[in-house]
This record gives sequence, structure tokens and C-alpha cells, in this order.
Amino acid sequence: MIEKATVLIVDDEEMVITSVRAYLELETNFEVHGFTEPEQAVKYLEGNQVDICVSDYLMPRMSGIQFLTRAKHLQPEATRVLLTGHADKQSAIQAINEVSLYQYVEKPWENAQLLMIIQNGVERAQLMRELQATMSELASANSSLKDVQKKLLRAFL
Amino acid sequence: MSQPSDQPGFENELDELRAKVDSLAAQLAQEYKMASLGRLLASIVHEINSPIGSILSNNQVVLRSLELVKSALGSGDAASLAKASRLVETCLSLTAVDKIACERIAEVVRGMKTFARADSSEARKVDLNEQLQDTLKLTQGEFRQRIQVETDWGEIPQVECHASMLNQVFLNILVNAGQAIEGQGKITVRTRHEGDSVHISIADTGPGIKPENRSKIFAGGFTTKAVGVGTGLGLALSKKIVEETHGGSLYFESEMGVGTTFHILVPVEQKNKAAV
Repeated sequence: MIEKATVLIVDDEEMVITSVRAYLELETNFEVHGFTEPEQAVKYLEGNQVDICVSDYLMPRMSGIQFLTRAKHLQPEATRVLLTGHADKQSAIQAINEVSLYQYVEKPWENAQLLMIIQNGVERAQLMRELQATMSELASANSSLKDVQKKLLRAFL
Repeated sequence: MSQPSDQPGFENELDELRAKVDSLAAQLAQEYKMASLGRLLASIVHEINSPIGSILSNNQVVLRSLELVKSALGSGDAASLAKASRLVETCLSLTAVDKIACERIAEVVRGMKTFARADSSEARKVDLNEQLQDTLKLTQGEFRQRIQVETDWGEIPQVECHASMLNQVFLNILVNAGQAIEGQGKITVRTRHEGDSVHISIADTGPGIKPENRSKIFAGGFTTKAVGVGTGLGLALSKKIVEETHGGSLYFESEMGVGTTFHILVPVEQKNKAAV
């Protein structure tokens, strides 16, 4: 079970955010941040770490793909999911190719399925971050090891 | 038998060709109707999917919450009761969301009814302001907040017409206007009573129609849209519906960089009832 997770939902329809938030609050202890304006969601991402971004596709001013592209740029480890009522193959392919989408969910969505996707997506993001932290630890340990090695060589030669 | 022997054969061939042309024209009209229906359906599906998703999700949450409230009421301790009262609040707000969602679906369905009354062969008196309002509802999915729709309803008499056919014309011109606008823009719909006609104008703030295309836009098969977006039949058929079926007129004004306005004039009374 995931301890603490942050979910970002972007949909120009307030009702979608309200419903998903109510469901997640009932079933999980995730923190849910909802935005009807993609631009505000981008601002939020600039200052706050999230584990998963769930975005609508067809929105005024910024499409879901444009939003997820910016999300990918700001927080590459955060998982990206498209939740769309505009089900066409072209947008799905574009999303998968351009923003390395994790999942494509069609509206009307199935709560249990959405929950599983969000839980797995959160876990994936947290594992990615853990991996990165471990790798940078390893890199720094490696470089200090090299320092010691150099010192040893100098001492002996 | 004074006629040359090949004359009846020639006449027959001509009749056959005429019948073929008629059947092709009917087929074309049907295909156009299906194409515009397809486009309409896609936008309706999009418009309805969100509210349905919400209602289904809310229903589950409310059910689960009520179960939790029920068991909390049974246990009776303070912490459980506090939680139960929070759950009740959630249920209340979700019920409010459901109401909005249902209203949205009902609105779309009401708009569709205008089209479903379709093929009554007799012209009847309708309020074109109402018809335009219903048709505008159908474009909401396609326009979203990208396009601002401004309306200026004049005081107009009831018009004797084939409402479903005129609605197809309105929808076609509105969808064209919406597609012409890149990014944000405005569509203005205006109605006026002028002489013995009702004048409907639909103006967009799109880039305008290129001068070289202006003479072609009412020709069947002409389109500047990408494959899959336009059929190139819409305006040709619209002109036919307005001018031939209703004895009105359909024309446009366009200025590059400013926009395009389509004018539809429909006589209040059909003079030639037989042609209607």
C-alpha cells in the first residue's frame, strides 16, 4: 500500500474533478488537486511535486496533449494519464508517442479501473524517483571511492 | 408510325439517364445527411460522456458512503458519527453534481429532438429563434469555451417551413464557422423580420474566404478542409434547401482577416405549397 501520494486532475468540467476526487478520497488517502484550467495546473506543477497527472483531452485554450507535454517537461517522473470523452485513435496514438502516456482511459470511466491505474501509476512514479535517488547515491559513492583509490595510489607510488 | 424508329429508344435512354441522375442526387443528399449526422453524433458522444462518467462514479461513491454511514450509526461512537456526517456532506454535494449532469444530458437530448422530427413532408409553422437555440445547443460540444456565441434574437413571426431541413442548414453553417475560427473567436447569430421574409445571419471572426474560392463554395464537392473533416457537400445542399425547397436565398459576405457572414432569407409563408 502506498503511504502518501499526490494526484493532479485537469478537466474543464468541474463535475469530473468532483466525482473523481470524491471517489479517491473515499478509497485512498491520496492528496487530490483538481484544476479546470490547464494553465493553473502547469503553475502548480512548477512549484509542487506530484506522482500522477490525469488530464482531459479536449479543453479550451490548451489540449490534454499540450498540457501533458508541459507536465512531462516539468516532472518527467510523474506518470501521465489521459482521461478522454473524445475517443479517437489518432489522439491516442499522438498521446502515446508525444508524451509517453502511461494509460489512455475513455469516458465514461470505470471507477475500479481508474483506481487501479492511478495506484499503479503512483507506484511507478515513486519507484522511478527512488531509482533516481539510488542511482545518484551510487554515483556519488562511486566518485568518492575513486577519490580514495587515487589517494591510495598516490600514497603507494 | 410517323416517328423515326430510333426516337423512342433515344427517349427511353434519356428517361433512364434522368432517373439515374435523380437517384444519384437522392443518394448524395442521404450521404450528406449521414456525414453530418456522424459529425453530430461524435460531438454528442463527447458532450454526454463526462456527465455519464460522473453520474456512474457518484452513484458508487454515494452507495458506499451510505453503507459506511449505516454502520457508523449502528456503532454510535463519536468518531464514527463525525465521519458519518462528513460522508453525508460528500453525498449531498455529489447529488448536486448529478443534477447538473442530468440537466446537461437532457439539454443535448432536447437539441436532438429537433432533428428527430425530421422527415415530415409537410411544411409547418415554427419559431426559428427556438430552432436556432436548439441547434446551438448541439454545437456546444464542438465549440466548448473556444468560441463565444453571441445571439441577437429579433421579433420574428412564425415561419412556414421544413424545420429539420433548415436546422441542417443552420448546423452546417455554424459548424463551418466554428471550423473556420482558429483558436479563440466569436460567432454572432442574429434574426430579423424583413418584409415578407425572416433574415438569419451567422457571422464568424474566422480568417475569411479567399477571393479565388468565393465563387466555388456553393458547388458540390468543393472543400478546403482536410480529408475526414468536410464532405464538400454541405453548402451546396444548404443552398438547395434554402432556395429551391423554401424559395428563399442563401449568400455570404467575406473579408480577409475580418470574417465571414452567411445570410439566410426564408419567406414567412410558402407561396407555392405544392413545391414544398
